[in-house]
Amino acid sequence: MSDTGFRPAHGEADWYDERLPRAIRSHRFNPIRTLATITLVVVLASLLGISSAYLIIEREQPLNAVTLGPWHAYPKAGTSEADPYSVAIYTRGAVIPLASGEGLALVAREDSNGHQLDPTCVYRIAGQTPSARLWTLTAVDGHGRLVKTMSGRVNLASDTLLRNPDGTFEITAATWPHSGNWLPLAVGARAADGLRFVLRVYDAPVTTGAALDGVTMPTIDRMGCP
Amino acid sequence: MTLSSRFSLSVGLLATLCLAAIIHILVVLSIPHNVLHSAYDNIGTYGPDRQFNLLPDVRPGEEALPDLDPAMKHAACRFQLADGPVLFDASIPVPFWSIGLFNAAGEAVYSLNNRTAGAERLSMLVLTTEQLSILRENPPENLEDLIVIETEEPLSGFALLRAYVPHPTREDSIDRALQAASCGSIR
Repeated sequence: MSDTGFRPAHGEADWYDERLPRAIRSHRFNPIRTLATITLVVVLASLLGISSAYLIIEREQPLNAVTLGPWHAYPKAGTSEADPYSVAIYTRGAVIPLASGEGLALVAREDSNGHQLDPTCVYRIAGQTPSARLWTLTAVDGHGRLVKTMSGRVNLASDTLLRNPDGTFEITAATWPHSGNWLPLAVGARAADGLRFVLRVYDAPVTTGAALDGVTMPTIDRMGCP
Repeated sequence: MTLSSRFSLSVGLLATLCLAAIIHILVVLSIPHNVLHSAYDNIGTYGPDRQFNLLPDVRPGEEALPDLDPAMKHAACRFQLADGPVLFDASIPVPFWSIGLFNAAGEAVYSLNNRTAGAERLSMLVLTTEQLSILRENPPENLEDLIVIETEEPLSGFALLRAYVPHPTREDSIDRALQAASCGSIR
């Protein structure tokens, strides 16, 4: 015997019946379930929102980058026209940027083939820089901090550089001394420490409004890794 | 009315994403207001306001401020225009020097280097529009020779002077020149 037999065939008594489409079935209010759903949504949203913000800020790569091969510059960061991410990154790090009338800092986190820079490797930085009165090349770790090197020197400057007759240069970045232009890298560094090259061009036309497009930048080639 | 489970799942996901986006934006926007040490605060720890304080040399592990160039020597001066106009005066015997003016939020307001300054000597006056009109009534003799930077609001901020060290033997003379640099009142 089917249980429908106990019910009137055409009545309103079975309006809550399971056979009705879900959309018009009565809703039984369940406060605990609603509360749990809202809590879940809020907790998930907070996790997602905070972690995504943290990841973007922690990467320390402002938006609006100008990319020239492996080099990135952020001419707008540290000015009143900066985007909110750059503002957050710069104020969190208490970073004082190079202002446009002083120079421009270009940062490389990868080599010309797109591989992450590794402080245990040997790199060749060669080519030309944008015309500038002075430039310096500094090797820092993945957080932008200076590192201890064998020679105590952490940078190279354009006025003491050995150049080819055509004005180009070759720099070897390595932990151990090399002939020619040697940029010392960290002693006893591990790959996880990270490596960045920072090229600061001072009093260059590129910092004072001239377009950054078509500017020649040095290439970074990995020569070998242990 | 009961929603189908797939529909309520989509609504839940959508709500989560929207809320996550709002929280993300709020977090990013609130960071500048909640930093423990701004560049403006850090510079205050190197000496009194309204004078150039020489920052220690940039060496591994003992960087005075983050992201400074180790090839340079730096001097910083914190000032508040509400206390009166600020006159920067320096003569630094190096091939390259530059000065940047920043507000308390660390945004660059004005900058120049020894080529754009037009003279070997830096003489720059920073003041508000109101202070300039008062000064014009009784102008100092050398007002025409100064680089005058006018701000609308009474700016609180700092100046960072960078001097390139071409050779370690020049360090002492550069130190002296940076210490002799003045950042003070006009008279």
